Amino acid sequence: MAVVTPETFTMVLYDHDAIVAAADAVAAAAGLPTSEDLRIEVDEANPLARTHLLSIDPIELAIDGGAFEDPRHPRQLDTDAVAVVVGRLVLQALDRRSPSFGEPPPEDALSVPHRVAWDVYSLGRLDRLGYPGQRQRRLYNFRNRHGFTDAGDAAFDALWSGEALTWADITGLSDDARALMAS
Amino acid sequence: MKRAWSADELARDGRFVRIEFMARAKDPRPLPSEQGGRRAPLTPDRPGAPEQARSLMHGIFTGEIQALEGAGRTCWDFPVGNGPDDAPFELKLDMARQCWDEARHCEISVKLGDWMGTEIGEFAESAFLYEAACNPDPVLRLTGVNRALEGLAIDVFNTMRDFGEVSGDPILEFCEDWMLADEVTHVKMGSDWLRRMTADDPERRERALEFQRVVDKLFSIGGIRGEDEDSPIKLARRFRELAGFADEEIDEIAQLSHEARQELLTQRRRTVEAQAS
Repeated sequence: MAVVTPETFTMVLYDHDAIVAAADAVAAAAGLPTSEDLRIEVDEANPLARTHLLSIDPIELAIDGGAFEDPRHPRQLDTDAVAVVVGRLVLQALDRRSPSFGEPPPEDALSVPHRVAWDVYSLGRLDRLGYPGQRQRRLYNFRNRHGFTDAGDAAFDALWSGEALTWADITGLSDDARALMAS
Repeated sequence: MKRAWSADELARDGRFVRIEFMARAKDPRPLPSEQGGRRAPLTPDRPGAPEQARSLMHGIFTGEIQALEGAGRTCWDFPVGNGPDDAPFELKLDMARQCWDEARHCEISVKLGDWMGTEIGEFAESAFLYEAACNPDPVLRLTGVNRALEGLAIDVFNTMRDFGEVSGDPILEFCEDWMLADEVTHVKMGSDWLRRMTADDPERRERALEFQRVVDKLFSIGGIRGEDEDSPIKLARRFRELAGFADEEIDEIAQLSHEARQELLTQRRRTVEAQAS
C-alpha cells in the first residue's frame, strides 16, 4: 500500500488519493506484494523532475513534484507520469533485491549512461505491462548517451525487450555501445 | 475576409493546450535554480538535457506555426501602398516567401518531434509570437516579430544545432542548421524593411525600435537567453550580425536579457511573499 506524503498539496493541484491509486496499481503490476508499504515523499515545492530511490526494504522514494506534473497543464497532476516514475523505481528496487541481478552501485554512484540503460530496461518492462513507455522518447535519451549508431540502437532494443537481465548485462550493453561511439 | 485576428481566434485541434505566457512567473513554487537545479548551457552531459531539448523543440514547433500565421496575416491585413497604414507589395512578397519557409519549418519540426519522441501537443503552447504579430502598424510587426522574435529563433536554433553537434545527432544538427539559415534571412528582412519604411519618419522608427526592445526583454524568457556564463540559450552574435544587427544593438539585447532575469527573480520574490502573507 502506497503511503504518500504530503496528504494535502498546497503549491500544486495534486490529488493525494489519485497518486496513491496510481502508485498502488503499478507497484502491484510490477510485482511488489500488496502487503508491503511503498513510501513516496513528494516535494511539491520543487518543479524539477528528479527522482530518488532512498531504500529498497521498505521501498522509499523521494520525488521532485515536477516529475508528476502534466507538461500541458502546469501544477496539475499527470497520473500516467506517477505510474511510469513509480513503476520504474519499484522495478529497480526489486532488481536490487534480487540476488541473481547482481550488485549495482549505490544510487548516487550510478553513471548517467548506466542509469539511462537501466531505465530503458525498466521502462520496456513497464511498457509490456500496459503503461506508456514512450519508446521513441526513451530511444532519443539513450542515443544521447550511447551514440546515434546502429550498434547503439541494437543495444537499446536488447534492453527494451529484455527480461531477467542482470546488472552485468545492462552495463555490458551500455559500455559496448559507448565504446563504439568513441571509436 | 476578416483582418487582424486575435490570438484566441487561432485555429488549433484538440491536441493543443494554450498556456498564458506569464504562467510560470505566477507559479508559487521556487524557480528550479532555487531548488538545486543548475542553470547551465544545454549540453548532453546534463542528465535532463535530452528532455529539455524535446521541450524546446516543441516550443520551436508551435513558434513556427505562429510565425506562419503572423506572416500570412501581414500579407492580408494591410492594403498595398506606401502610406502609414499600408504595406508595400514587395514587403508582402517577402512575407509570402516567409510563409513558405515557415510552413517548411513546421513540417521539419514535426519530423524532429517524431525523431525525439515527442507527440504534437505534448507540451503547452504559448501564443506569444503571434501576439506580437497583432500590432496594427506593419513596421512594428516587423520589429516585434522579424527582428525580436525571429532573432530569438536564431539564438534558439543555434543552441539546438550546437546541442545536436555535441551529442552526435546528425538529424538535429542538419535540420537546425538549415532552419537557422532561413531565420537569418527573416531577421534581415525585418532589418531592411525597418530602414526602408522609416527612412523619412524617425519617430515611427523609434516607436518600432522601442516595441522591439519591449518584445526582446519580455521574451528573453526571464533571462534564459543571454550572454551570462550560465545562460542556457546563448546570443548568437555572428548570425545576428549577418541579419543586420549592429554590435551595439546586440549589446543592448544582452543587457535587456540580464535585466529580464533580475526582474523575474524580483517578481518571484513578490509572489512568494504574497503567498506567505
